[in-house]
Amino acid sequence: MTNAPHILVIDDELQIQRAIRTILTEKGFKVSTASDGQQGLTLAAANEPDVVILDLGLPDMDGVEVCTRLREWTQCPIIILSVRDSERDKVAALDKGADDYLTKPFGIEELLARVRVAIRHSASRQGTPSKVVHAGPLTIDLAWHSVKRGEEEIKLTATEYKLLAYLAANHGRVLTHQSILSNVWDPADADHTEYLRVYMRQLRKKLEADPERPQFILTEPGIGYRFIVDE
Amino acid sequence: MRSATLFSRSSQYFLAVGLIALVTVILFTLREALDTTLIALLYLIPLGMITAYWGLGPGITSALITFLTFNYFFIQPYYNLAVHRPTDVVILVIFLIVAIVISQLVGRMQASLAAATAREREATQLYELSTALAGLHDGHTIAVILAKQVQDVSQGEAVELNITGTEPFVFRLPESSQPDRPPEWILPIQVARGLLGEIRLWRAAPVLTSNEKRLLQTFASQGALALERARLAQAESRARVLEESDRLKSAILSSVSHELRTPLSTIKAAASSLRSNEVSWDTAARSELVAQIDDEADHLNMLVGNLLDMSRIESGVLKPKREWNILAEIVGSVLARMKHLAGEHHIEVDIPESLPLVPVDYVQMEQVFTNLVSNSVKYAPEKTVIRVSAFVEGDSIHATVSNQGPQVPQEHLERIFDKFFRITEADRVTGTGLGLSICKGIIEAHGGRLWAENVPDGLAFNFTFPLIWEGVSPPKLPIDPEAE
Repeated sequence: MTNAPHILVIDDELQIQRAIRTILTEKGFKVSTASDGQQGLTLAAANEPDVVILDLGLPDMDGVEVCTRLREWTQCPIIILSVRDSERDKVAALDKGADDYLTKPFGIEELLARVRVAIRHSASRQGTPSKVVHAGPLTIDLAWHSVKRGEEEIKLTATEYKLLAYLAANHGRVLTHQSILSNVWDPADADHTEYLRVYMRQLRKKLEADPERPQFILTEPGIGYRFIVDE
Repeated sequence: MRSATLFSRSSQYFLAVGLIALVTVILFTLREALDTTLIALLYLIPLGMITAYWGLGPGITSALITFLTFNYFFIQPYYNLAVHRPTDVVILVIFLIVAIVISQLVGRMQASLAAATAREREATQLYELSTALAGLHDGHTIAVILAKQVQDVSQGEAVELNITGTEPFVFRLPESSQPDRPPEWILPIQVARGLLGEIRLWRAAPVLTSNEKRLLQTFASQGALALERARLAQAESRARVLEESDRLKSAILSSVSHELRTPLSTIKAAASSLRSNEVSWDTAARSELVAQIDDEADHLNMLVGNLLDMSRIESGVLKPKREWNILAEIVGSVLARMKHLAGEHHIEVDIPESLPLVPVDYVQMEQVFTNLVSNSVKYAPEKTVIRVSAFVEGDSIHATVSNQGPQVPQEHLERIFDKFFRITEADRVTGTGLGLSICKGIIEAHGGRLWAENVPDGLAFNFTFPLIWEGVSPPKLPIDPEAE
């Protein structure tokens, strides 16, 4: 079990720590826990984790600050935990380098799914990124700039393709409005969420079976979007 | 101002003497034709006029001068002040008495008339002040008006109003400059409870008369009453808010204890059953118990969320984070999430593709639709239709969630948005009784309005909210992708 992924949980609530530790250990992960930001940073520096699960409400320092400090030296995936109605903090943490978020209270399956996505991502970050993304009947070939449903080619405009390519390359991860806008459009357009709304709608109409109930391009209310590829 | 009064006063004497001289000349020319008694009577006419127009001083002076001229010119022997005939002595004495009495009477009447006019002016000024102060509940406005009226009445160089207490406030007239000497007069603004502040008045000359001081003191006490009233009104509204929030708190407590205990009991029962060694559960029963725990935990989470939202709305910190959104997308995501709850109802959506982008908080608007649809699901019978629609109405969006559930009595249509208001008995339907009030709070925070109405086959929730956000209309974007 020396190869078991190392997960660092930084959360001041002991009940949550206990629950996450029990379940993740059961699933074969190596878990270490910290009760405040400083302890978390020290533990991370001593033994670089594969995934960090970070609560935003820590007693000693702001969770966003912990994110920033971790990002100064490691690219390991960070999943943040927060309570409902703190979209602003979540977005801040995501923009400071966190990879994903979970709202408390959460189901453990959700947590496991996020941890798996995170580990896969950190793996693909080290190797060569996949050139072809499959999502249900959709095939997105990032090298050839082609999008197909089954064998049928889907025609996208240049902006639509750029948007889809960015989503697909980061599939499974939550992408904030700001990060999409500044990567697909221009950092100067980071406030124009209306672009996103309109282009996402176009894209869903072309890709989704039912654009009102999307299966691939999911809205993360108040945060951004997430592209899902079914496993 | 003072020299002008002086001039006019001395000119009054001058005119009085002139008039007497004129009358003397006229009477002198007619001396032979007129009887001494008649002349004496005729002399009384200018005397009366002088006192009436110019006051007691010129009147008495004229009376004395007239006494001399009458004696000198009209009583024999002429051109000296000696009197020979006894009747003439009587005439002279009576003339003097009558002249002085008339002067005094007329003069007193004059003075009391002037006093009456002054009193009337004071009354008018006081009336103006109390009218201006009536109904004011703001200490600053009261202070400003009081200072202006004091300035109007006193015609002083400067007035400063200094309000002390919890919210100190200073107002100066004129606002720009202030004499750099101590004020001539300081008037306390005082109520029974204590000192509320003071009025400082700069007026070097003329020195304030006792009448002016009295009037200004009345002003100060009027101002004090108005300030006191404003403070009481504030205290009262604070007390009312406290009372209201107190009422809310006890309502929350009673609702919370009832609503939170139900899912907690279920969770406790299921969890302790699973731990118990006395029963060995088969797989189906076990997963049923676990599902119950899971569902009830979600329910608890929703209740706590609602309570938090309500307290946020109540304390006014619910600020929508507005962005341009597609309403159809919001409704779509709500309905997708509610699929398992609304399984037995037909949900129809009628939102035109051409609907412009709407400036709303995505999460909050989701909650509005979630609460309205779940309310419809709760009360409308199964197999009926729940309809969600939206259209543009002028500069607003008009959205409707209607169901074929029971109608609400007219008198309750407003009250269903009240916190914890239920038409049916609390035990029949689960929820916090906060869903609709939260919707109302959110829509109002968006500058809109939410109301319910009975429609022929059920109940409809309507709401409108403005399409214009910070003066900007919905952005127009290339809808045709090939137009890029």
